[in-house]
Amino acid sequence: MSSLSVRHLLGIKELSVKDIELIFSTADQFKEVLQRPIKKVPSLRDITIANVFFENSTRTRLSFELAEKRLSADVVNFSASSSSVKKGETLLDTVQNILAMKVDMVVMRHSSPGAPHFLAKHIQANVINAGDGTHEHPTQALLDAYSMREKLGDLGGKRVAIIGDILHSRVALSNIFLLKKMGAEVMLCSPPTLLPKYVGQLGVQITYDVRRALAWCDVANVLRIQLERQQIKYFPSLREYSLYFGINKAMLDALDRPIVLMHPGPINRGVELSSDAADSHHSIILDQVENGVAVRMAVLYLLAGQR
Amino acid sequence: MEDVILVNAQLLLPGHPLHLQKKHLHLRSGILVNISDTPLQVSGALYVESPALKVSWGWFDLRACFPDPGFEQKETLQSGRRAAAAGGFTEVALLPNTQPVVDDKDTLRYLQSDNARELVQLHPIAAVTKKAEGKEFSEMIDLHRHGALAFSDGLHPIQDSDLVLKTLLYLQPFNGLLIQRPEDTHITRFGVMNEGVTAVQLGLKGMPALAEHLMIQRDLALLEYAGGRIHFSCISSARSVELIRQAKARGLAVTADVAAPYLLFDETALKGFDSVFKLNPPLRTAEDRAALWQGLRDGTLDAIVSDHQPHEIEAKQLELDLAAFGMSSIETVFAMSTMESKLPTELVIEKLSVAPRKIAGVPLPPFEVDQAANLTIFDDSIEWIFEKSRSLSPAHPLLGQRLKGKVLGVVNNQKTEWFL
Repeated sequence: MSSLSVRHLLGIKELSVKDIELIFSTADQFKEVLQRPIKKVPSLRDITIANVFFENSTRTRLSFELAEKRLSADVVNFSASSSSVKKGETLLDTVQNILAMKVDMVVMRHSSPGAPHFLAKHIQANVINAGDGTHEHPTQALLDAYSMREKLGDLGGKRVAIIGDILHSRVALSNIFLLKKMGAEVMLCSPPTLLPKYVGQLGVQITYDVRRALAWCDVANVLRIQLERQQIKYFPSLREYSLYFGINKAMLDALDRPIVLMHPGPINRGVELSSDAADSHHSIILDQVENGVAVRMAVLYLLAGQR
Repeated sequence: MEDVILVNAQLLLPGHPLHLQKKHLHLRSGILVNISDTPLQVSGALYVESPALKVSWGWFDLRACFPDPGFEQKETLQSGRRAAAAGGFTEVALLPNTQPVVDDKDTLRYLQSDNARELVQLHPIAAVTKKAEGKEFSEMIDLHRHGALAFSDGLHPIQDSDLVLKTLLYLQPFNGLLIQRPEDTHITRFGVMNEGVTAVQLGLKGMPALAEHLMIQRDLALLEYAGGRIHFSCISSARSVELIRQAKARGLAVTADVAAPYLLFDETALKGFDSVFKLNPPLRTAEDRAALWQGLRDGTLDAIVSDHQPHEIEAKQLELDLAAFGMSSIETVFAMSTMESKLPTELVIEKLSVAPRKIAGVPLPPFEVDQAANLTIFDDSIEWIFEKSRSLSPAHPLLGQRLKGKVLGVVNNQKTEWFL
């Protein structure tokens, strides 16, 4: 049995191509398990996992919790807003308190980029990054790529357009790292104010024209407008954004070949994506959700093997 | 009576007739009593010998923060003095960002109060505006009369152009100096590190060097219009160096410094999210770092400072975006400036001893027999391990590391301290 080259899943940056392929092949096996009448395996019995969420999350937390339970791990959940950290207890103290209760793995979401890296330096448990601010969201990128691979086969040479708020998106960054590692081509599309100035140096193409991005790509991964993460005004109004950067079914139907439409959720219906597009045959949005559980089971299982 | 013999020491005293000569020096209780070409015999004396023993005027740090009163958990005047001495500094100019801010003579006097009986002399820089808020002027003539070295809002660059203009005018009757760390804070809002591909990869909000360029350009235009003198502190980018180079060529009364950490590190130090390297201005690129060295070499950058910004562990051992800006650096300025041997040692010493005094209008101490000495004794060839910091701040990037270039002792105000 092969194993990962890392003890923690902090980001895609730290993973090798071999690691990613191992996660995918392991996820294939778990996906098969999830089709069975009894969807539970005993792999992580005796392992206790804390889901520590300093930022709101519904689907990522649910997906992790389900993955953990399908693997028979003991699960504890902790939620706190990041502001409570600022008020009093430090991140390190909070997590050390949880670890004192003999927790083996920590799945953490936090608003600060690098928070899981900081934690991994100071604690013994395996750390899984479930999103750190505007930095990375590795399991999302893994499940996105896994879903693309399921639909289109090998990612080498495939064209993926990432459309939306790139500046505030951890999903975009993890996707870029992963897709580049797997040999795919990446194009980013957003208003210029929602693109980091130096993002072109990551080896991606850039366009401000959503129709051009759609015509170019095999896959369009549409990102949410992260209104909650914007501390300054980046564009005049949601109305204008949706008029000039939003995607609807008519635009997809007008393309000379079908493309795959993805979205990490939750969708702002009528803003970045119209309902008729989100619910169209182009969309694999619900497959992404389903694959999320299998991919997270694979990550948890492989990291537990590193203990 | 304390006798010390410095054996065959090279004198690095730029501008002095004995510059670069090797001499045997006899100090008695901090007074220079003999400068000799031949070895000296004094019974009971401490003999200081070292492979490349050197002596210069005591080093003068033009920018450090000992935030006492108010933030004594970060550094007190006492701990700051101890750290400064170990770094070879006999005089330190302190930023006004204490609590209360140095905007009246009471706080000014508190900072000066122990100078008469201490080796390390503290020179308060007074705030331009009350509470360093950038709104109402502090009483600058009064502060000047009571010994304020220069004027600056320190950690808070003045954003209001009219305030800068009026400060430049108001300081002219006494040739007062305005110090700005150039940063347009609108451009850097919520920033954590230098804007660039490294920040993109780390998902961190960037602080563009543009913020520095904009304020330098604005302040230079104001200087050209109003006259007076301005000193830019903590220059961090190549374009800033070029802007200052051009301004000097045009004959403007502008000077500038670079802080030692920027000579040794660049933005890639943040790749592991290590908050020790979270500085403002942020560490920039390798090309910027090379331009800073070039700026020192060609005289665009006049002085090297510590920009010592100590913090308690609670303010630094945090998620990167929550951690405070600044590192402890005053003890290793010399090593940071000489380790890579990018400049001749005598030029580094000029930037640490002569230039800061010239900028601040402080006369060079005498180097004459029967006068109290103000000297730093050091050896740029010695390798040593920086094991323990004297600063209260644990956030030091070089702690535990092997360094080259060591301070061996300081002499000032008829007191001596040795680090042999």
